Parts: sequence; structure tokens; C-alpha cells
Amino acid sequence: MLVTGVETFSQVSQNSDSARYQMFLPDYVKLQFAGGIGFLSLGVGYTFFKQKLEVSYFYGYVPEFVSTDDLHSVSLQLTARLFRFKVNPNIELMPLNIGWFIHHTFGSEYWIKLPEHYPEEYYWWSPGRNSGVFLGGEIRTKLLSNATPASGTAFYVRMGSRGLYLASKFGNSSIPLKDIIEFGFGVAVYR
Amino acid sequence: MRIVIKIAFLINILFMPACEDMFDYSPYTIDFSDENRNVNQRNIEKLHAREKNDTITIAFTGDTHLFFDETEWFVNNVNKNHSIDFVIHVGDFADFGLPKQYLWGNSFLLKLEVPYFVVIGNHDLVGNGSKAYQEMFGSFNYSLIYDSIKFIFVNTNSREFKFNGNVPDILWIENQLQPGVDFTRVVVIFHVPPTNSDFDESLEEAFHNSLSHYKNVLFTVHGHLHNHEIYKPYADSIPYVNVFGVAHRKYNLIKISKNQFEVETVEF
Repeated sequence: MLVTGVETFSQVSQNSDSARYQMFLPDYVKLQFAGGIGFLSLGVGYTFFKQKLEVSYFYGYVPEFVSTDDLHSVSLQLTARLFRFKVNPNIELMPLNIGWFIHHTFGSEYWIKLPEHYPEEYYWWSPGRNSGVFLGGEIRTKLLSNATPASGTAFYVRMGSRGLYLASKFGNSSIPLKDIIEFGFGVAVYR
Repeated sequence: MRIVIKIAFLINILFMPACEDMFDYSPYTIDFSDENRNVNQRNIEKLHAREKNDTITIAFTGDTHLFFDETEWFVNNVNKNHSIDFVIHVGDFADFGLPKQYLWGNSFLLKLEVPYFVVIGNHDLVGNGSKAYQEMFGSFNYSLIYDSIKFIFVNTNSREFKFNGNVPDILWIENQLQPGVDFTRVVVIFHVPPTNSDFDESLEEAFHNSLSHYKNVLFTVHGHLHNHEIYKPYADSIPYVNVFGVAHRKYNLIKISKNQFEVETVEF
């Protein structure tokens, strides 16, 4: 009798604990290819305002087989979903998402604050941290919802550019627009 | 499963063919094609294959920063002047030091009909620009000989190396200036002039002493200041030619003949 009581008690406390933890559990996990923030990037994030707004944090990696040096970076992204259509009970379409990101590349050469060996305002930008904007679209499905605790899986595409590229393109018709576009796509699994 | 296939198919059809080279992994990815690698060495070979005449005519530009359109117009103008033997860019080729800016800059210079050489500027070294320069052009310090004139390209961007006492490399310069059988006069090209605050003050004297030592330096050329001026800052009377940045839509032509030289300005 006593043993059962202890068991019940511990179960209750576990349940309320896991409920508390669930509040902080990310709403989704994303895996993205390209898009300027890594060759492959893994992200987690939260949705707000009935999923109209998303805040994601990505870690991105560029391996040596696509660049001279491997690169590590993180980025913080805000995405707003402007439209949302239910195609059928299983498929939702979000044709226009807009977003902003700030991207930080690791390494001493990618400084954020102008190093001390420069006079003030010697360079106006920082190679270590720069931001940009993007447009995208997303299709959400019920994939994985039967076999796993996930509620669904989304596929998305995005195209964006960043301040450093836009500044390079500004006033230069000789630079092709496609050269400043960062294209990427990914998959998101929702809780 | 059918949904996945359909969606994968949709993504492929809609976006893949149009955007093949638009998949960007990072602004610091260096993945240059063959024509964007080892550019200085290939141009040295191209220059050696060129027929020589009595006068060497060189078009100088530099400080192209974000002036890509102007760079293209410069290239078009130089291609119309068939007396030009080669082109020298005095640095600040990639404004943010981005690999992409290196590619853009070189996409225009590749259209030059004559060989071209780029000396490293301070902007070119920001971020992983130093790596991008080495991948695209080669060593920071290099030299070539054309028609008995030696051209020495020197990294003088001391500030970018925290004034570590090794930039510019005085020993290398002295070695290069040592008289040889294959040249009579020397032209020294660099980005930051020795009188500028971005040049290592502790090396200024050693620098101009090494240039005057063998009395074989005909003149020096630099950029960094964007305007044009010919001046003699030291008692050795070696002329320093500060050449126009591309933004002025002007460039300097220097003609070398019988150990004499003259400087012209061309508008474009």
C-alpha cells in the first residue's frame, strides 16, 4: 500500500515537471540546406501569435569540401507568415513568409567590434556579424504525425540577401541580381 | 509517402534549375573556379609571351572598392587602347574582403585583353580576404621582369597585420632589388604609401633606405588615397606616383622608355 502511494506521488510530480519542461521545449526542429547560413544548418525555435511569427536559432556548418576552410556560425531569425491556406485536412500552404536574420561567423578574423589596432570608424561594417532579409514559402503536412509524437512536417524554401551584398549591388547594374541572392530550402518537424 | 515525393518533385522543378549557382553557404565560402585561381602567375606567363617594343605602356587603376560599374568602364576603355601592354591594380580590390567581391572584381578584369596584376590593399585583407587573395592571385609579395624592367609588388598594409614589424618585408624587398643580369631598372608597386598612418612608422626609414640603396628604382606607384599626385617625399629623389582611384573615372598611363618615364591621365 505504502509502496503504491509513493509510486503515485512520484508519478504526479513527474507529470507536472514534464509539463513545466514542455513549456520550454522548442516548438520545432529545422534542418536547412544553404540559404547563406551554412551548408547544413540545424535550428530550433518557437512560434507565437497562432504560429504567425517564428523565432529560430540555427547552428550552421560549412565543411571543407565546399570551401577552403570549414566555417562555424550561428544565426537568429524572425519569420512572419503573411498568408495561410488549408488546401485539405492534411496540407497547409504558406505561400509568403518574410524574415530577418542576423548571422554570426566564428573566428578571430570575423570580428564584431572593430579591433583596437584600427582608429575609430576605420571600417563601418563587421565581418563577424551581419544581417539580411529573406522571402519564403512553406508547405505543412501531417507527415510523421502517426508514427511519432510530432504533429507534422513542413518543407520550405527561402531566398534572401544580406546587407553586405545589397551594399555591393547598390548602384552597380554590372552586378547580376542572382549573384546577391542566397537560396536555400529545408525541412521542419513540429511538436 | 506520395506527399513527400510530390513535394520533393515540386521543389526540384520550381527552384533547382533556376538557382543552381544561387545556393549560398556563407559569405566566407571560398570555392573559386580555375580562371579565378593563380591569376598573377598566369598573367606573368601571358606577359612573357607578349611581343616587346621600345616603350612599355602600363594602365594603372585601383581602389575599386564597390565601384564595379566604373571598373567595367575602365576595362572597356583599356581594351580600346592597343598601345597598353598591361594593367596594374594598386589594391583595395574587394571592399569588404568578401570572396564574392573578389569574384566580381575579377569577372571584369578577366575581360581585359592584356595581362593584369593586382597588389594587395588593406580592404582586401578583412575577414578571410587574405585567404581569398592568396587563392585568387597568389603571394602578397611578388615580382616580374618585363623588357629589362623589374616590377616589384609589395604588401605595405602594416595596420592589417597590427604593425607587427614584418609588413612591409624589408629583407624581401632588399633581396628583390639586388642587381641582376636580367633587369636594369625597378618599379615598386604597393597600396599604402610610407608616409601614411597605415604604414608601419618603425619601418618607414628602412623602407625608403632599401629603395635608394642600389640606385636602380625608377619610380614607385601606390594607391590608398584615391587621388593623383607625383611627389618626391625623401632626399633620394625617387618619384612616388599616387594613381587615381577608379571612382574618379580617370586612370593613369605610365610610359617607360630608355630609363625615363612619363605619366598621363585618361578620362573614361
